Amino acid sequence: MNSFSLRSLFAILLLTVALLPNLRSNDLVNTKDALESTLNRLLDVLHANHSAAPYSVKKDRIIGILDQQFSFDVIIQRSLGRNWSKLNDSQKNQVYTLITDLILQSYTQELQDGPRPELSFYKPKVITSSKIEIESIVLLAESKINISYRLANIKDRGWQVYDILVEGISMVSNYRKQFDEHFLKKSASDLIDLLKTKLQGA
Amino acid sequence: MKILILSGIPFAIIAIGAHFSKAGAKDFVDLDDLLEMDELLDDDGTEVREGSAAIADPLKVLNQAIFEFNDAAYKNIFQPFTRQYVRVIPKEARKGIGNFFNNLEYPARLTGSLLQFRFGRASRETGNFFINTTAGMAGFMNAAQEFEALQPPKEDIGQAFGAWGFKHGFYFVLPFLGPTSLRDFVGRIGGNYVEPISEPSTQVDSSTDRLILTAVETVNDIPEIIDIYNSITGPALDPYTAVRDGYAQLRAVQVAE
Repeated sequence: MNSFSLRSLFAILLLTVALLPNLRSNDLVNTKDALESTLNRLLDVLHANHSAAPYSVKKDRIIGILDQQFSFDVIIQRSLGRNWSKLNDSQKNQVYTLITDLILQSYTQELQDGPRPELSFYKPKVITSSKIEIESIVLLAESKINISYRLANIKDRGWQVYDILVEGISMVSNYRKQFDEHFLKKSASDLIDLLKTKLQGA
Repeated sequence: MKILILSGIPFAIIAIGAHFSKAGAKDFVDLDDLLEMDELLDDDGTEVREGSAAIADPLKVLNQAIFEFNDAAYKNIFQPFTRQYVRVIPKEARKGIGNFFNNLEYPARLTGSLLQFRFGRASRETGNFFINTTAGMAGFMNAAQEFEALQPPKEDIGQAFGAWGFKHGFYFVLPFLGPTSLRDFVGRIGGNYVEPISEPSTQVDSSTDRLILTAVETVNDIPEIIDIYNSITGPALDPYTAVRDGYAQLRAVQVAE
């Protein structure tokens, strides 16, 4: 090997080692920026022309925006945990749609009330080799709320939100407790009836 | 050629060293791992179990009855009241009142920090109290918020008991005040013991004045409590379980901090 190729090889090695952490850290920053952009686009829809249109009117646009970075199927299956297997295929589809609507209807209503909230995001924290957490602060008219998003690097999907923590309270764990309690005494069809009633009253 | 290679070695060592020292300090891991969906859907993943802080509920029947009573009170009395209160009292005034009472809770937060031997936090609390009481005009303005170093996480005596290893004991629901546990209730009594409005350390001579101050503090806190309550119960299938688990998770996070 001549001196030129040795020098080139050495320079490439040196550059690779020096840049490796930055490349990874850029990946995390890009993921954080993408999440921030997704949530700002959600707020754009919720606060478009100061309209207070109900969730049902904006549902398709809201789901269209969030679907890119939020894996609701994962969130819901993890929430149901072992109870997921107690549902037949038709019930799984119904429960998936109803819970997605219930969660989005409740949370978007809060974000829609009052002036447009201000969002600020912190640097992502690494949980494991394929999971990160992005902390944020939502400044509402009357209060400041800490919301953290847990994302997993899912095969064929990329970085996806699989849990949301409000003031440290995990949504998946909280729902899991409620489902466990429900299935102690009640059935899957009771759950579907309950979800329908909740949505009508929400 | 040799000189070129040799001169590059120190830079390589620095670069490799920097890479591994970062990895060591932050537990940096290979982020190229991709999760198979099945791994994430593992139905009893430890992450979910860790998130679900346990709290015993032997008084569930009684607790549920008090919870229903509180729910009716929040919806039929407190919520309509909150709408009027927020409409009549300007936001800045509500914030000022909140700051004032928050500043008076300094002795309880200080005690919570000291009981955990967190002297750094105790001194930050003291700095926060000093600045808010002086530059913040008796605490009505949060002057200390300009200083990031003077913003310690809020401590209380129940958290200190948790940090010592005491479990909750059991969960119970207080009329109007909502969820607590045996451990946190004892901590709350301890907090009242060192605070300047409530007995026995009161700095307010007249019992009528004490009652008025406590009422003002409670009334001013209601809008925020109602907001939090609605956020938890709104999307819940089983509001009682959602609030109980939310309380247990929140306290676990505060103790862990």
